Amino acid sequence: MPRPEDEPNETALLPEGLHDTLANDAEYQADIVEKLRQCFASYGYERVVPPLLEFEESLLCGPGKAQSRNMFRVMDPVSMRMMAVRNDMTGQVARIARTRLQNSPRPLRLSYSGSVLRVGGSQLRPEREFQQAGIELIGSDSGEAYVEIILLARDVLGTVGIKNASIDLTMPLLVPAICRGLGLDDKISKAVRHALNVKDIGELDNLDGDIGEISRQLLSASGAADKAMAIIGKLSLPAEAQKICDELKEILARLKDVAPELNVTVDPGEYSGFEFQTGIGFSLFVKGVRGELGRGGRYLVEGNGKSKDAVSEPATGFSLYLDSLMRAVPKMTEIKYIYCPYNMNMPDVNKVRLEGYRTICGLEPTKNDTAEARRLNCQYIWQNETVIKI
Amino acid sequence: MTSPASGIKPGQETNQESGQEPMILALPKGRILEEVMPIIKAAGIIPEADFDNPKSRKLTFGTNNPLLKIIRVRSFDVATFVAFGAAHLGVAGNDVLLEFDYPEIYAPLDLNIGHCRLSVAELTALSINDDPSRWSHVRVATKYPNLTRKHFAKRGVQAECIKLNGAMELAPSLGLCRRIVDLVSTGDTLKANGLAEIEKIIDITSRFIVNRTAFKTRNEEISRILQDIGARNDLK
Repeated sequence: MPRPEDEPNETALLPEGLHDTLANDAEYQADIVEKLRQCFASYGYERVVPPLLEFEESLLCGPGKAQSRNMFRVMDPVSMRMMAVRNDMTGQVARIARTRLQNSPRPLRLSYSGSVLRVGGSQLRPEREFQQAGIELIGSDSGEAYVEIILLARDVLGTVGIKNASIDLTMPLLVPAICRGLGLDDKISKAVRHALNVKDIGELDNLDGDIGEISRQLLSASGAADKAMAIIGKLSLPAEAQKICDELKEILARLKDVAPELNVTVDPGEYSGFEFQTGIGFSLFVKGVRGELGRGGRYLVEGNGKSKDAVSEPATGFSLYLDSLMRAVPKMTEIKYIYCPYNMNMPDVNKVRLEGYRTICGLEPTKNDTAEARRLNCQYIWQNETVIKI
Repeated sequence: MTSPASGIKPGQETNQESGQEPMILALPKGRILEEVMPIIKAAGIIPEADFDNPKSRKLTFGTNNPLLKIIRVRSFDVATFVAFGAAHLGVAGNDVLLEFDYPEIYAPLDLNIGHCRLSVAELTALSINDDPSRWSHVRVATKYPNLTRKHFAKRGVQAECIKLNGAMELAPSLGLCRRIVDLVSTGDTLKANGLAEIEKIIDITSRFIVNRTAFKTRNEEISRILQDIGARNDLK
């Protein structure tokens, strides 16, 4: 808590979880976001830009429901209604698809990027404002939609220089389906789901019967895709659960076919962050980088309640979190700055700029141009009609 | 598709770690360590000689596996090191895991050691006439403020926690507060300080824990270690 004597805020202390991004980092981040957008566009995903905040009800419907407590609210003095600041853009894109773009042909491919804000960060991820970029493929429930977005995720990471990402596939609906099939109540289902999510073997020890055996097997299954599917394949599961596993198996077979080099793992129990999903989910990891770079999966875009043909549409997509992503990308190459002394020929200035140097022009004559160039952090200087490295 | 032209040199000076980076196993100092080491050694992980030398000032220890190093830190810090990925593996009690509730920690193996329980205790004299169902607010001295708050909130009681790092048993008799939440194994320490255990919150054992990202990206190595520890020690 800032103390009264810290006011006025002369040291420019920022609120927790917010920060200024300066010079090279800011530029690199913009560069990365642009590369993501271009890659999304090359796969036919069109960019949409929803507003930073909107009426609270629109943000809270569908995928946003689970996030209600983590959104900033502000009262709109114009409409006298409550507005909320987005803390995830997925719901906004779903809203656009459901309303403004309801007559556009399906499947609809949309991309987005922008800042999101949340009330509280976590200890591991203290940022309260960060950028999110992603895509949504709306109006198809085919397995091929998963394959398209997983390959797009791989390519988009490759575009920004991340070559060794691994993709972790999960089935958030599997445990509830198993419990339903075995006739178990909601309480057991939730306990099993939680234990598998955090891989807590201690919690599973007290479970007897089929669910005990199945859940312990599922826990041991998480890992390389082949190993996981071999263990899952041996389980005798209720029909509904078996169907989910079969779908995953099909996707894995397709991925092996079209992208054999892809590092794929399976975690049948991963659940947190996939609460609103209705199919297979996935997370993107890079060795040595804390937390996931992004997440994806399938969910339902709820039909517009007021229109007479309100039908829910399946959507498949993923989001990347720029804070994690920036920890995983290669370092930016050094930028070449050249000092162009006062009175340098304009055509020459333009020439070196075209050659890839960034020009820092002297605005007045100096006694020692080289010293001035050093002072301004330039590695190069224009002297005697040529570029000289300092 | 775009080419990695401006700004990025692919493959050079990345901050991505190579697959050959050694893994770090964080072990808790103190009482639990004595119980853990036989399990670790039975799994074929032998630390360098300095590990058993109390005079050594080393903090990181090599093992017979060049890709596995051991660090020794306070039990609460094991969870933090592992959660942030600074250590990939660790051993921590579920009291510590529940207190932090880090989503980045997996606990795939129960080591079946370090048995005790986390309980609420109060002065014996007070416990005779106390009716917990009438509480709306309690003041509690504890090393586990988050866990305590959550436990009481579940039954509609607001817990005001005073964080202490040890000697919780002193707090009630000196008038710091009337109740404590602390680890109990035999109950002798409580009795000696005029306290009575009035409610068990949870049973505790030590768990082998794994960082979530490491679990996903280095699964084969980690599965092998888990299997060795589990099989050689006859654990589930």
